[in-house]
Amino acid sequence: MEKNEIFERYNDRTHVLGRLFSLITVVFLLASPFVIGVFIGAMPDIAAAMKGFVAVGIVWLVVSVVEFLVYTPMLGAGGSYLGFITGNLINMKMPCADNARDMTGAKVGTPENEIISTLAIATSALVTVAVLSAGVLLLQPLRPVLQSEVLRPAFANVVAALFGSLAYKYFSHHLKIAVFPLILMVVLFVFLPSLASSASIMMIPAGGLAILVAWLDFRKPISKFHS
Amino acid sequence: MSVFDLLNSAPVYVVCGSIIGFVALICIIFIVRAYRAGLAIGMERAKLNRVISSCIAFSVVPSIGILLGVIALSGSLGIPWPWLRLSVIGALHYETQVAEAAAEQLGASLNPSEMTAQVFSTVALLMSLCIVWEIILSALFNKSYLKKFKTGNSVSLEKKSKSGFADTAMASMFIGLISAYTGSYVGQFVSSGGLFSFKGDWIPLIVVTVSALTMCLFTWLEKSKKQAWLEGFSVAISMFAGMTAAVIIGLFR
Repeated sequence: MEKNEIFERYNDRTHVLGRLFSLITVVFLLASPFVIGVFIGAMPDIAAAMKGFVAVGIVWLVVSVVEFLVYTPMLGAGGSYLGFITGNLINMKMPCADNARDMTGAKVGTPENEIISTLAIATSALVTVAVLSAGVLLLQPLRPVLQSEVLRPAFANVVAALFGSLAYKYFSHHLKIAVFPLILMVVLFVFLPSLASSASIMMIPAGGLAILVAWLDFRKPISKFHS
Repeated sequence: MSVFDLLNSAPVYVVCGSIIGFVALICIIFIVRAYRAGLAIGMERAKLNRVISSCIAFSVVPSIGILLGVIALSGSLGIPWPWLRLSVIGALHYETQVAEAAAEQLGASLNPSEMTAQVFSTVALLMSLCIVWEIILSALFNKSYLKKFKTGNSVSLEKKSKSGFADTAMASMFIGLISAYTGSYVGQFVSSGGLFSFKGDWIPLIVVTVSALTMCLFTWLEKSKKQAWLEGFSVAISMFAGMTAAVIIGLFR
């Protein structure tokens, strides 16, 4: 059998398995809150979840479309099915696949890249599962400490801590895009502090403004605010 | 039994562990298939082995960073759920944002004192609903989308997939999200006790500042001191620095 034929058969089968496993994973992920709900004695509030999805889910749908369009060709069939199922795509799977590609000299779009991306992402995911599982076992004795009153302010501010670290990362690279939405949001929340409980919804106008500025800059770079 | 005893109970571990086990099995199947196919199309065994061993070495350090993320979320969502989300589908920066936004829709937050069983199960459902789209898109369109790239040569494909406005648009959306939350912390401090009263909660602002400064330090170490290995830890450790500042302020308040 010719190498091309072998690879095509492998690729077709990858799509069959990838689709099957992807759909099973989606079912598991969507069912898990209900199964856990049985054990903890509280089922999800579907109406509240739907309301929340309309408010915040649409944004993630757009992010998902963009990530799908950008990363699928770079990772190939097997790599992208696995990458989307196993997550941590930008912070780990992409750099890992890139590193493997560089090391072997494989070019994007070739059968070699398909094989190497799949091996890289699957291996990387297994390492994460192993490290996290070992860590979670070790965490068990620390539960009383993690739930102590002293540490409560830390967990109450986990979101602020995340946005602080991401703010530096994104703002330092895209200062000219960040200036306008940041000023708009500060002014808005100072004059309407009651909006704080709907901060996630306010990302729609803030994100829209950021995309508009980015688009204008993309077409004609703004020289004033070079970062 | 408190809500956190329930969230950390054995049945929840079994549910989350089973899904993680299933995904690990998928990875093993794909490794075996790719390895065999690689040999069949003439790739060297040594090259394939080198890819696997280098990926193991490459992934250990970032995985420890991800584990720190599990610890960061465990105080709000228990241990098994973050273990599942960060092992299987999510990433630390997505999970925290979606969880907070989901809790917000229920009139709650990730503050452990506001967590109830009902809030948790609804937050968990919304987190799943928000983040499964890449898998669904991949299941539906992966094959047809990749076919479009088959005609071009590999170099043009690489250029095509890396270029364009998409990356900037995605970064802009994150900038919008970060701006909204940062603005809300400023607004809460400046005006929540009355317009320009400056009597609101200032801890989130300190936390944001400490986390950002820590991130700045990490970026400097990575770029100026060539410590690239720190990249996998930078977000998680910056978060821990901010959270530690909140604990220290809490002790002296």
